[in-house]
Amino acid sequence: MKINFVLNGKEIELVAPPDRRVIDLLREDLGMTGTKESCGAGECGICTVLIDGAAKLSCLMFAAQLEGRNVITLEGLTSEEGLHPIQEAFIQFGAVQCGFCTPGMILSALDLLKHNPNPSRKEIREGLSGNLCRCTGYQKIIDAVEAAACKMKKEPLL
Amino acid sequence: MKRVFLPQNLGQLCRIMEEEPRAMVYAGGTDLLVKVHQNLIDPPSLICLDRIEDLKEVHEQGDEVMIGACSTHTSLFENPTIQSNFPVLVKALKVLGSPPIRNMGTIGGNICTASPAADTLPPLYVLEAEVEIWSQNASRRMALRQFISGPGKTCLKAGEIISGIWIKKVPEYNLHHFEKVGQRKALAIAVVSLAAILKVSNSGIIEKARLAWGSVGPMVVTSTQVEEALIGQSLSLETLQKAQPLVDEAVNPIDDIRASTWYRRAVAENLLLRLFETKYD
Amino acid sequence: MNKKALEIGKIVPRMDAYGKVTGQEKYAADYYGENLVWAGVKRAGIPHGRIKSIHIDEARALPGVISVLTHKDVQGSNRQGVFRKDQPVLAGDKVRHCGDAVALVLAEDKGVLNRALNLITLDLEAFPGIFDPEKALEEGAPLVHEDNPQGNILLKGDLEKGDVNIAFNECDAIVEACFEVPHQEHVYLETEAGLAFFKEDGKLELVVSTQAPFRDRSEVAEALGIDPERIRITAPYCGGAFGGKDGVTVQTLLGLAALYCPDRPVKMWWNREESFMASPKRHPARLYYRLGSKSDGTLHALDVRSYYDTGPYDHLGGAVMALGLEHSGGPYRIPNVSLKAWCVYTNNPIGGAFRGFGVPQVTAAMEQMMDLLAAKLGLSPLNIRLRNALTKGNTNPIGITQLGSTALVECLGTLKEHLLWKNSQDWKSSSGPFKKRGVGLACVMHGMGYGPVVPDSAIAKIELTKEGKFRVFSGVVDMGQGNASTYLQIAGYILNQDAEHIELVLPDTERVLPSGSASASRTTYTFGNALIGAAQTLKHRILQRGADIIMNGEMEAMVLIPGHIKHLPTDKEIPLSDMAQKLDDSERVAIHHFTASVSKETPTEDPNLRLHGIPHFIFSYGVHLAYVEVDELTGEVEVKRYLAVSDCGRIMNPQVFEQQIHGGIAQGLGYALCEEFIAKEGRIITPDLATYIIPTALDMPDMDSISVESYEPTGPFGLKGAGEIAIDGPLPAIANAIADACGVRLFRSPFTPERVLKALNEKRNRGVGY
Repeated sequence: MKINFVLNGKEIELVAPPDRRVIDLLREDLGMTGTKESCGAGECGICTVLIDGAAKLSCLMFAAQLEGRNVITLEGLTSEEGLHPIQEAFIQFGAVQCGFCTPGMILSALDLLKHNPNPSRKEIREGLSGNLCRCTGYQKIIDAVEAAACKMKKEPLL
Repeated sequence: MKRVFLPQNLGQLCRIMEEEPRAMVYAGGTDLLVKVHQNLIDPPSLICLDRIEDLKEVHEQGDEVMIGACSTHTSLFENPTIQSNFPVLVKALKVLGSPPIRNMGTIGGNICTASPAADTLPPLYVLEAEVEIWSQNASRRMALRQFISGPGKTCLKAGEIISGIWIKKVPEYNLHHFEKVGQRKALAIAVVSLAAILKVSNSGIIEKARLAWGSVGPMVVTSTQVEEALIGQSLSLETLQKAQPLVDEAVNPIDDIRASTWYRRAVAENLLLRLFETKYD
Repeated sequence: MNKKALEIGKIVPRMDAYGKVTGQEKYAADYYGENLVWAGVKRAGIPHGRIKSIHIDEARALPGVISVLTHKDVQGSNRQGVFRKDQPVLAGDKVRHCGDAVALVLAEDKGVLNRALNLITLDLEAFPGIFDPEKALEEGAPLVHEDNPQGNILLKGDLEKGDVNIAFNECDAIVEACFEVPHQEHVYLETEAGLAFFKEDGKLELVVSTQAPFRDRSEVAEALGIDPERIRITAPYCGGAFGGKDGVTVQTLLGLAALYCPDRPVKMWWNREESFMASPKRHPARLYYRLGSKSDGTLHALDVRSYYDTGPYDHLGGAVMALGLEHSGGPYRIPNVSLKAWCVYTNNPIGGAFRGFGVPQVTAAMEQMMDLLAAKLGLSPLNIRLRNALTKGNTNPIGITQLGSTALVECLGTLKEHLLWKNSQDWKSSSGPFKKRGVGLACVMHGMGYGPVVPDSAIAKIELTKEGKFRVFSGVVDMGQGNASTYLQIAGYILNQDAEHIELVLPDTERVLPSGSASASRTTYTFGNALIGAAQTLKHRILQRGADIIMNGEMEAMVLIPGHIKHLPTDKEIPLSDMAQKLDDSERVAIHHFTASVSKETPTEDPNLRLHGIPHFIFSYGVHLAYVEVDELTGEVEVKRYLAVSDCGRIMNPQVFEQQIHGGIAQGLGYALCEEFIAKEGRIITPDLATYIIPTALDMPDMDSISVESYEPTGPFGLKGAGEIAIDGPLPAIANAIADACGVRLFRSPFTPERVLKALNEKRNRGVGY
């Protein structure tokens, strides 16, 4: 079936089986391996993408559901101007170890900060509670999101 | 290859359900799609309700609030009408699943999956919610407590969906409490949960009480005996401790991978005591 | 142009972070190929039995299936393993655990692959299984490997010092307990994955998520009967490993698949459930401890019997047992010890390498024993540890002199002065309704490297490229611990270059030199030492040549600056790219081989124990403090704060160091509280992430990490290993804190809400006040 949607700011049209998992469509059909898979059952958050701005699990979505939607993956965050403040903060604050949870974590953080530009550390933990990390113990991720929130308040992005 | 339909309105839904009698219906997919991927179910086609805007509204109608069945948990959590009228439900939504699951999952889906451990069900039981069952020809309301007929079972027939949930406002209840005990603080299935709304007088007397426990029986457990034991008494530790044996009689938990019968009983009783430290207006 | 050269001892943001935050960095799981073939495994499904026949015809006939392979199709030894090659690539005669690989399917896509796997049927004669390590030692127990002369024993060990029998009679206080710790699943987020393909020249190439590409190459060669020179393995960054990828996972299966479809790339990627079933886990253990002391708390006698359940295959099990055995007595002076350990085959899931490697198990026991003893004597947990803590020059429980840096006392002193320790009483007394608060300590010690026999070596190679950059050929896999970045930091510091002028080649058997596995807390110590040598050699050579070129120059007057060399008296600069042109290719590369020193002492003559690592030479130390709140209504235990004070020598990059400590604490906290891996009669009943519970962001507290910055002279810039030590502390610290909070001690972990509530209930029923 033909599916039309916006991916990282660009309109695209694809042909795909309607029941193809969105994670497979991204990784295999489009070669965009920035979105990762770890459990395939909604239990880890690694496959998180933004659908119309909301963090959702691409392993539990069918391709047909993308029709007309605005999809953002990690690859869409970097622009000509450089890295997004959340990406910068992840680097500066040591929030990246193995990095496999990083794409989903960053996108969940983006959704969180859109809804709550001034979160407490507890609220950041809640916002990221659906994204498992096995390397960091989460603390530096919380530090990074806290710092990014600060920066984003001073320099609001579009 | 399975066919996946995205009806834009109830009319289209109707037609597709007629043409695809074996299709399974989902909204968020956080329960159904997991089962499909694990090969536990194998429907030839699926119908996604996500595009039917009519099913996502929340509005007040007289002394009731109507919640569209395809409202996501996040949308309800953030909705001012829900926040002001049903704090007990908001407290449950806060600890349901995780943020992405709340962005995808819907209240209608949570009801239709009818898991004994579902997080929205104990609050909806104490709120004495009714479901609106929609089909091509008719629309009817039914008490949620009747709608859910067993673990994972509802009264939904072929060609029907839940279109909405009706809840009568409860302004006289000034204490809304929900606690969920799980194996961790997020992404956790409830091992025991308690929803309670109480009306407590200025002098601390319990005038009205509605309680419901999750995960301690094949369906949500309610108990008029426990409620009657609280009504007329002061909201004190002693009152609550006296009612604990009645909780034990009401619940009927099983042993499973997450907890034993013993643990579920003990905690179902103990959670009652937490009402003692719950703030109310 | 004032570019800032990389420094050590400072926070330098990791250089791999950019690729990871942009999604550009590719893990092994991210490799696909044109005309790709998918490979998958049919597994035994029963814990013990004889294979009568394997029915593959139906699967073979399915459209889209390219081939179905069994043990008959394996040309080489069909055996893999690090110490003992007891695991088949594809099982032929017996199956020894539910996850045993029996058939390999190659298919056009994942859908066909899964259907084909379901069509394969196994005709198995079930044997009685053995599921407990002590029972496995009894007469008549089912044998997992009939050809093993030691029955179900993979390895056993016995270390004696002094005379415990006499010594216990001299003790004023004795405590005795038995501890049980379960399997722990790694849950690396990138499950086992790889891609294999043949190049035109007939070389087999594998891209794999692995901790040991050179060892993998030997294993693939031997198991499949291929010349190792005809195999190339590259190891991208792992999406986590923690020991679970230290040994063959997909490598031999992929190699086998490629042999049967040499014209197409083959991919294998285990899903989460398969990873649970097939991968090694932390060894469960049962530990019997008896500890005695004088009335002032001076330790006098220790008797330990420890049983490790290694499942059906070696998988480094002997080395885990040996490291545990060595650390059984903790970082204390104990003059009389009798330490015994057995590493036993069972039909449970495989026990193998997992960060900590035997030390979490014994520390769980020993550090609780210290608190039990302190309570019996009326001493504080801090003071009993201070009284017995090892200092440099002391003999440790197994008789090894502490010749390396030993700053445990400094760690304890730092903790004693810390506000978290000082305020703990106040904090405890201000708990809310139905909550009980407690604090608990645990000392930790962790030996680095491979022990006295297996060489802990690395060969660093560094090149001045024609473009004038320094290229570091990393021999040791970076599985997330940041060693790749630290190598660049070391090279940058010695060569006085900024990040723009240093680049990295990740481990690749064709391009880098063998440098051992990413394990044993050695990845920065050993390779770092090798790299220092290589960088200094190259620096020296460049400056000498530079001096020649300048003609009036002396080498001592030449320095490296970012992108250039400079003659200080004249300020003349030569760009490194120019220098590179002037040097011969052979001059632009420097190699340095480093082997870590080993202990000369011999606490055991047993060659098997020595081979498996006893004794180690350099140890890191620390002390942990857990603030815990127990909910009396539900039994839930919440860690509210956590402090780790560590002695890991000089810290090269405080941020990377802290990453290791935080991560170790998090995994240790899961091990203590919520990670309950359950197998009943060998069948896993916690097979996925819905039933095996690891901590989320809401389950972790804020953590404080302090380094006492001792100096280890043998380490690169004074550093010691820091990768594992933090995981050793949380379980006993939390157990001790729970005991402090509500007077109950749990001897079986994890300390789930149910276990805690049950213990609280039993205590109440015994009438000990509530």
